[in-house]
Amino acid sequence: MKKFVNDPANFVKEMFEGIYLANKDKLKWVPEYNILYRADLPKDRVVVMQGSGSGHEPAHSMIVGPGMLDACCPGNVFAAPPMDYVYECTKILAKDNENGVLHLINNYQGDRMAWDMAREMAEADGIKVGVVIIDDDVSVTNSLYTVGRRGVAGNFFVIKAVCAAAANGASLDELVELGQKVNSRVRSMGIALSSCTPPAKGAPIFEIGDDEIEIGIGIHGEPGRRRDKIRPASEIIEEVFTAVHDDLPFQKGDRIALMVNGMGGTPISELYLLYGLAAKKAEANGLTIAKNYVGNYCTSLEMAGFSLTMLKLDYVIESLLNEPAEIPIRVF
Amino acid sequence: MDKLSQKQAELIVRTMADTAIRNEAYFSDLDAVMGDADFGVSLAGGFNAVLGQWEKFDMSSIGSFLLGVSTAITGNTGGCSGPVWGTLFMRCGMAFRGKNEVGLDEIIAALKSAIEGIMKRGGAQLGDKTLVDALDAIVKSLEKSLESGEPMMDAFKKASDAAVEMRETTKDWVAKRGRQSFTGDRSIGTYDPGIVAVGDMTKAITVALSQEG
Repeated sequence: MKKFVNDPANFVKEMFEGIYLANKDKLKWVPEYNILYRADLPKDRVVVMQGSGSGHEPAHSMIVGPGMLDACCPGNVFAAPPMDYVYECTKILAKDNENGVLHLINNYQGDRMAWDMAREMAEADGIKVGVVIIDDDVSVTNSLYTVGRRGVAGNFFVIKAVCAAAANGASLDELVELGQKVNSRVRSMGIALSSCTPPAKGAPIFEIGDDEIEIGIGIHGEPGRRRDKIRPASEIIEEVFTAVHDDLPFQKGDRIALMVNGMGGTPISELYLLYGLAAKKAEANGLTIAKNYVGNYCTSLEMAGFSLTMLKLDYVIESLLNEPAEIPIRVF
Repeated sequence: MDKLSQKQAELIVRTMADTAIRNEAYFSDLDAVMGDADFGVSLAGGFNAVLGQWEKFDMSSIGSFLLGVSTAITGNTGGCSGPVWGTLFMRCGMAFRGKNEVGLDEIIAALKSAIEGIMKRGGAQLGDKTLVDALDAIVKSLEKSLESGEPMMDAFKKASDAAVEMRETTKDWVAKRGRQSFTGDRSIGTYDPGIVAVGDMTKAITVALSQEG
């Protein structure tokens, strides 16, 4: 393994320290529980948090800020946050704020159980907690770590829409309803060219040949639909687009948001190449691309690969996606 | 002893931990028959964490203590056993918040809440051949004892006998939940490690409580 790490056991902690030091005026950091939260935590509205495992950056530790998450509490690399991380984070958010806390949870068994327990404990403290489960991956119906579909890059749209609505003062019930609505309209599927290496494991999480791709890869290297030989990009887009498009299904005339998400190790040049192909497919299918997203949103460490996400917009969701946001990841 | 003191509650948890750690290999062997042979290791890992974090628990009430135990168990027990056993302590901890002693009626209510929580968390039903069946036998026995006004220690002994009996009662059942269930009918004639663990723990608890006097 060749990585920029010290003791691999401290990988997540040191990453958090870096995020914190780059944003000391905007973020607060609780090292014991992997918690990052807004220094100017809102007290007059519902607050929103997300966790899941680390290794998917910028999700979720680098997307805490105005217009996006109020806090995050991820677990170790590819591991659900322990129940007490979620509980502690919920308590921090609920301090002097009776509007409630919204839990955004990707659909994995470990996450579901940890968040469920934390919610029970928080509710016993008198904290109002709402829950939205995200499961946008069309690749497989059940998988290594899930009953039902997996939550992958589509979580970005749930987070963005729900957090914008929270900032506008929506109630906990309204946010749960909105989150479920966005989740019900978003679909994703991923392709891997390479494996990835969690620092504490020190070895790739799966083997893949130089000329092979995994179709329908999960964001923790879980197997997808099948292993195949590498093919021209347009053929790969054809298959992925069709799988995503036909699942909802999207229909002629729909306004959509189209995302080509990098898995961490794909050059942005290739992501734009893929976007161009996907955009042409979308237009050929009578879809109007109202919003587009190209880059790393939900990664698997250094995995080379991408996922395609499509969201069916309506006026409300599109307006929320257009709201301003400010997070630690920036290019200006 | 008509109320369980906080000191006794601590003794119960310590006894459960000792039982889990002492039987690590045995519980894993039971799991190896039909499961993935990690139950003993997982459970011992969780209870080792409990003993390791003992000094850090908030001992202001039985409830705060058990909530600390729950957190240690959940975070340190491998596989799905973590949330399942964690829920047992969490629900009891919530029921005993602010209390330094609890009566049999309160213990029954807490265990009922724990069973409901575990069923929700793991999706198990009564009769699925999981530790829920053992916990249910305990509650039913305790309820009978409460009704007939038996002393708490007698109630505990009877409940323990009921839990140990479940080990044999359920032997010929088909496992419907957890790793054991993957083998379907082949689970008939085998012991469920979770049910055995509950029985062994309650047996050890009654011995420890009676020795403590």
